[in-house]
Amino acid sequence: MQPTSRELLEMNNLNPLVSLREIHNSQMSTSSHFDPTSSHDDFLDQMFSSVPSSASSFPWPEDHAPPPCHMEEQSTALLASKLRQQQISNGAAKALMLQQQLFLSRGLAVNGLRSPSAADIGFLNIPHADQDDVVDGSCYKSANPDQDASIKSLFNGFTGSIGHSSNQPQHLLHSQGGALQSHKFGGAAAPEMNQPAASGSSGGGTAGQPKQRVRARRGQATDPHSIAERLRRERIAERMKSLQELVPNANKTDKASMLDEIIDYVKFLQLQVKVLSMSRLGGAAAAANPLVADMSSEGGRIGNGTKTASSSNNNDGMTVTEHQVAKLMEEDMGSAMQYLQGKGLCLMPISLATAISTSTCHSRSHHPLASASNNNQLLNGEAACPTSPSVSALTVQSATIAANGGGETSLKDANSVSKP
Amino acid sequence: MKSRMQNSSLKQEFLKNWIKGLQLHANFNKNTTILERRKAIKLSADIAIASTRNSTTRWSRALIADASRDESNKTLIEKISGRDVPHKASFGLIRCSKKILKRSRVAREVRAKKAVSPSVVASLIAKKLVKSRTRVLKRLVPGGEDMDEISLIKETIDYIVSLRVQVDVMGRMAKAADRLIRSTSL
Repeated sequence: MQPTSRELLEMNNLNPLVSLREIHNSQMSTSSHFDPTSSHDDFLDQMFSSVPSSASSFPWPEDHAPPPCHMEEQSTALLASKLRQQQISNGAAKALMLQQQLFLSRGLAVNGLRSPSAADIGFLNIPHADQDDVVDGSCYKSANPDQDASIKSLFNGFTGSIGHSSNQPQHLLHSQGGALQSHKFGGAAAPEMNQPAASGSSGGGTAGQPKQRVRARRGQATDPHSIAERLRRERIAERMKSLQELVPNANKTDKASMLDEIIDYVKFLQLQVKVLSMSRLGGAAAAANPLVADMSSEGGRIGNGTKTASSSNNNDGMTVTEHQVAKLMEEDMGSAMQYLQGKGLCLMPISLATAISTSTCHSRSHHPLASASNNNQLLNGEAACPTSPSVSALTVQSATIAANGGGETSLKDANSVSKP
Repeated sequence: MKSRMQNSSLKQEFLKNWIKGLQLHANFNKNTTILERRKAIKLSADIAIASTRNSTTRWSRALIADASRDESNKTLIEKISGRDVPHKASFGLIRCSKKILKRSRVAREVRAKKAVSPSVVASLIAKKLVKSRTRVLKRLVPGGEDMDEISLIKETIDYIVSLRVQVDVMGRMAKAADRLIRSTSL
């Protein structure tokens, strides 16, 4: 079974139809049930050629117009997904059966045949009990008689087209298992097709992925308002899921806490951009000029700073402080440090601040801070974790420090400790 | 969900646009305060990242429109994005009326005392929380005020991706500049 299981795994990535043929061919050659004859391939060719095209080329009699193509796609996709589940959970044998009926139900979807036969009804109904794990029981219960009939006609077709060959008994055996599965999955496909038919118009409007449509519960499918509501909620849910992958710490199932995390993350990223733009990038040319502390202009600058700070009115209460610190840092690190200490704040490297924040605020571990930090950034942290829900952080580019020369390299390490 | 290839090309485009904008400010001298410098850099960066979207998303359009409201930024915008964006009218009135309606509805429900059972009360509280946080998010994302919930989430996804690109590139540039400065000063 080794080669078949590998092929089955490969099948997940390929077009199911194409690989089905290969698997069938290989299966024919390796399995002990079937004799590999040309009639098999002819039959398969017939089926394969008919399935993707419209029903007109199909040799079997048909009374109904084929259902629209998108339903076929849906059922195929649903079956393909179930097939994958099977492959993961069970062995390869069952998966093979599933593949067969996947392809059978596709043929069903295209044809919609109807020619009932009494003998086949009994034949098909017998062994279903022991294959319950293949399909949900609900699928089976809601099997549509039309689909049953079409499956039986398919079965007839099996026997009919291959009736002349000597391999008929094996075909019957093979198709019995296949048709049985297909019966179940035809039952599965039928409710799929019914409810999408009911909510087809609204279903067609789904902006997201048409393959993974959630089945409407019985009795709720007809109300357009609830369908629209459900669709809207599904859309929101799938978008939130993709958002969850982006935002770190997104293991929350609750919508409100998810939104909270998102908000915090966006705020954090915006703050990072703001701080990164405070670097010496624009002043790379100015770095050539010596940065001597100019005390006379400092007073003027600070006065100027408060004016501009009030004009740039953010919700962030740290803005004014930020500006002051930035200006002071430009001139002299020492004065900046003193200013901060006067405010009751301290300057520390980002790694230390991250460690403190993660140890004290368990519910709000700011991992993004750690991931974004590099050795060149200092963190000005207000360690008020128990009182405020978030640690307000200011990352300042250390290029300002670098400009002050090698004597200040100790600033890279923690040189101030805690909040008084 | 963006592949690596897409991400790196995004970064390159952002860098290109940003440098285009920074070149306009090459005349930084000693007198420009750090605040002014920061504003200029941030502006260039924001417009650069917004123009990588080529006006396909609402937040990028809103960002550029907000920036173009100030006359002095027009040259910058034209240089980076290569096109002039017209001034967008504000929808303040609509926002105001929506808020009033919302508040009256909640107050009405509370007064009617329809829902006494704790589970319903809890769900009401949850809904209120979600609504208030959605409002905050709308304020954060540029141009988010006029969006419905579904497109808000879509825009947020795109905005977060762009912010990450911005932070990444700016951080690397800052590191490089830092090394450059240190090597020249030694």
